[in-house]
Amino acid sequence: MRYRFATTLCFTWWAVSGLAANAAEKPSALATARQVDALIEGELTKANTTPAPLVNDDTFLRRATLDLAGTIPTPNQVTDFALDPDPHKRGKLVDRLLKSDEYADIWASYWREVIFSRATEARARSMQDLFETWMKDQLTQNTGWDRIATELLTATGSTQEDGDVALIYAHTGEPEELAAETARIFLGIQIQCANCHNHPYEKWTREDFHQFAAFFPRIQVRPEPDNQGTFLVKSVEAGSGRQAMRANFNPAEAFVRMDQNRDGKITKTEVSRVKFLADRFDQMLALGDANKDGAMTKEEFEKVPRPDANQPGRGSAEHYMPDLDDPTAEGKLMQPVFFVNQAKINTGTDDMDRRQTLAKYITAKNNPWFAKSFVNRIWAELVGQPFTDVVDDMGPGHEAQAQKVLDVLATHFVNSGYDIQWLYRVITHTNAYQRKLRTSDTGEGAFAAASPTRLRSDQIYNSLTSILGEGLVPQATRGGAGGGAAQRYANQGGRKGFGNLFGFDPSTPQADIIGTVPQALFLMNQSGVSHAIRAAGRTRLVTLLDKNKDDHDALSELYLLVLSREPSKSEVELNLAYLTSVGNRNEAFEDILWSLLNSSEFITKR
Amino acid sequence: MHTIHEQIQISRHALSRRRFLHTVSASAIAAGAFGFTDLLSLRAEDLRKQGKSMILLWMQGGPSQFETFDPKPGHENGGPTQAIDTSVPGIQIAENWTNVAKAMGDITLIRSMTNKEGNHQRASYQLHTGYVPAGSVKHPSFGAAVAQQISDPKQDLPTVVSIGRPEAGGGFLGVDYEPFVVDNPGTLPTNVGTPVGQDRLARRLEHMKKLEVEFAAKGGQVVVDNHQRIYEKATKLVQSPLTKAFDFADEPQAVQDSYGSSQFGRGCLLARRLIEKGVTFVEVRAGNWDTHFDAESRIKTLSEPVDQGMAALINDLKVRGRLQDTIVVWMGEFGRTPKINARGGRDHYPRCFNVALAGGGVKGGQVIGSSGPDGSAPTDSPVSVPDLYTSICQSLGVNATHENISPLGRPMKIVDGGTVIPGLFA
Repeated sequence: MRYRFATTLCFTWWAVSGLAANAAEKPSALATARQVDALIEGELTKANTTPAPLVNDDTFLRRATLDLAGTIPTPNQVTDFALDPDPHKRGKLVDRLLKSDEYADIWASYWREVIFSRATEARARSMQDLFETWMKDQLTQNTGWDRIATELLTATGSTQEDGDVALIYAHTGEPEELAAETARIFLGIQIQCANCHNHPYEKWTREDFHQFAAFFPRIQVRPEPDNQGTFLVKSVEAGSGRQAMRANFNPAEAFVRMDQNRDGKITKTEVSRVKFLADRFDQMLALGDANKDGAMTKEEFEKVPRPDANQPGRGSAEHYMPDLDDPTAEGKLMQPVFFVNQAKINTGTDDMDRRQTLAKYITAKNNPWFAKSFVNRIWAELVGQPFTDVVDDMGPGHEAQAQKVLDVLATHFVNSGYDIQWLYRVITHTNAYQRKLRTSDTGEGAFAAASPTRLRSDQIYNSLTSILGEGLVPQATRGGAGGGAAQRYANQGGRKGFGNLFGFDPSTPQADIIGTVPQALFLMNQSGVSHAIRAAGRTRLVTLLDKNKDDHDALSELYLLVLSREPSKSEVELNLAYLTSVGNRNEAFEDILWSLLNSSEFITKR
Repeated sequence: MHTIHEQIQISRHALSRRRFLHTVSASAIAAGAFGFTDLLSLRAEDLRKQGKSMILLWMQGGPSQFETFDPKPGHENGGPTQAIDTSVPGIQIAENWTNVAKAMGDITLIRSMTNKEGNHQRASYQLHTGYVPAGSVKHPSFGAAVAQQISDPKQDLPTVVSIGRPEAGGGFLGVDYEPFVVDNPGTLPTNVGTPVGQDRLARRLEHMKKLEVEFAAKGGQVVVDNHQRIYEKATKLVQSPLTKAFDFADEPQAVQDSYGSSQFGRGCLLARRLIEKGVTFVEVRAGNWDTHFDAESRIKTLSEPVDQGMAALINDLKVRGRLQDTIVVWMGEFGRTPKINARGGRDHYPRCFNVALAGGGVKGGQVIGSSGPDGSAPTDSPVSVPDLYTSICQSLGVNATHENISPLGRPMKIVDGGTVIPGLFA
């Protein structure tokens, strides 16, 4: 939908070459994985490092199921997978998981958190479900990442019906915020530091940032009349009525038209028929009426900042870079320019042409940042660490580890047609994905071992549901004082309420995600959890203990249920000793189940 | 600072080096006078012993200045609300605030607050953090920034508590400064009580710790260490006798009555009990001040519990000798329009609104600034959000220009700009 050609588009070298170069063969996922392995292992050999060995079947199953279906495998799945003699079972498992509803669910929820964790408009969170539904559709159909990005950048519509307006609504259409988030999410570049001053570490200038923001000024986010709580994302165009007046506003001409009595001054009465001026006339007087006579001369009127300049979400014809020395001044008119390659379009271009053009610039095959930033994110989620220190701060001044691997993956990802599922296949096939965690025995070197990662809220919630049974995961938060949007969102139950307690911004570096005291208190003491882990009533534990009269058997089943693996010999000994010391089977098993649910292993992808 | 110490210990990941910088003044490090730990213990010595705290009384929705502490009886913008005398000759406030009127001797009213954000979310964020929202950085709340500077790291209770969920949290200062949210003041908060008893909980914790050894050895060491740290804190809270502060059972009935039985009043009492136990920052929230219609009658209802709770809090702190070290701030995200709209309400108005302050060295019985006869704009002594927060920093003994380093390496002052409000302090 909504595809039109930008008439004012200055064709650039890559827009042209992007159209021409499309013949590349879709690369094989397996071959690409082997290429990645060779690169990583070549470097490790050079550094004389022995990489960590590959994981066994149950660890692979747990990793892949968490990554691609957002939950832990059931005890049955662990056993079946272990017993399956097929040498290609790992690849087949990945294929099966990528087809599941749960795959689309968990990654839609990932992108929801990427976008909404940084929302500057808290009310936008009310459309999280709608966005997830939309995103889930894209993932189910395996829509290319270039298409998804284009949809998000060019969306118009209602916050009650169109999930793709999420990113724009999350920042009320504010050009500077959209510029910052577009660069961060789709390019892995933190250009917003250049909002107020030239970027301290990168080459970007203030001008670069504000020229980028100039792709967005004509977006309007306004409440939908007669539909409380719903907003419409649309374009302010120079085409009709009042909006045309605003977009084409020329102070000199407007002054002549409004000065009805030709006394060389305009008053509030005279501007009253032009609503957008009338609404702001007092404000304009306060700023521009030098002699305080309640009227403005032509000179005063021309000097005063345009009433619609840089008004977040209201839509204005153009973007102006604020004058830092004089915040009340109009600022400098910015032409839309893409900072990566300086491709530009003219001022005066309408909203949809601006955004379509920007989407083309961003998703062009020759723009290296677009593919790299996506590869970096997915790799970081799956393997446990990104190529760069911070997943959404890739440079250009930052060095990546295993830069060649990133380059190869990005190039082939472009050639795959930005095929998201293809990328998951490649990464899960690599040895880097399948290595054991780094221990004190592992040598240094990029991706010589896997890194443990904290499970995201939905993964923990789904795992708890899988262990305790549907409907047994209790509410994480409840009502309280204070009112307001924050409170309303906090009061949601189920998966979302759980997310309020266990959620985190997925762009946060793993080293900074260390858990919270309220999370610990929830798993330790929450009455519902406490109830669900009892060895009484109709709980999982009751069934398990009933079926497994032998303590060792029961332990094995419990470990399979909670941690998706058999207990080690020493774990069996520790737990059997505990059973003896407690002297009450039910009580001791409640304690063991509690210990496993509260263990760091349970909330970690290992 | 305890947190930094711990983070140094867990710094196997190169990235956590950033974390040290979050909490230490960049300039002090650049000066190179001290090593990290020296610097930290010095600061700890200096700051922790002061025992200063802040209680924020947050009027969510934006309280009308005309129906609170800046009435305009006789002017058409004032509406039907009458003004009453206070214990300080010459200072009048809106008629609903009879208890606060009696406490005016301890209060400074600022009637010339001025700001630009008229959107609830953006303004609430700004008035909580001192910064306008930006997608690129999650600013810590002012309470978090202050707690990080002056709270006692050894104490069992959380350093930042909010009664009701606030609009900003620990931000880039991290989880140690996330507000501990209390839903029902007067009772033990959610999940702090153990359903199985302290002995069995201790037994479980010990068993869990033993089981963790194996995962630690198999590559989970860092994860296990962090986890252990969080569980130790959580356990300390569950086991601490100080959590009794949350439960009003030992509070004399007469004192409880003076605060009133409302959620807000009980919140004020909890705030007093918590700061006495060493909590640095408590936010007590009162909702529904977004009075777009029927402002006069609705504010009458809204004022009652706040008037009682706020006055009781100031009096109680004074009686107990804590007012000098505790700054109490009453405010919302903006004021309301001078003109009453067609529905008898008032809309958002950040250009001119009011704030009330008490304690923490604030001079009582005075008004700073004026909103003019019609209440449309500050006519003298305009006070910006940074001015307000810089002043509160002074009360708390916090250096407002202390720089934290944001995750992207950008130095950010606790308050960006602003000067201490002239005449605010005695």
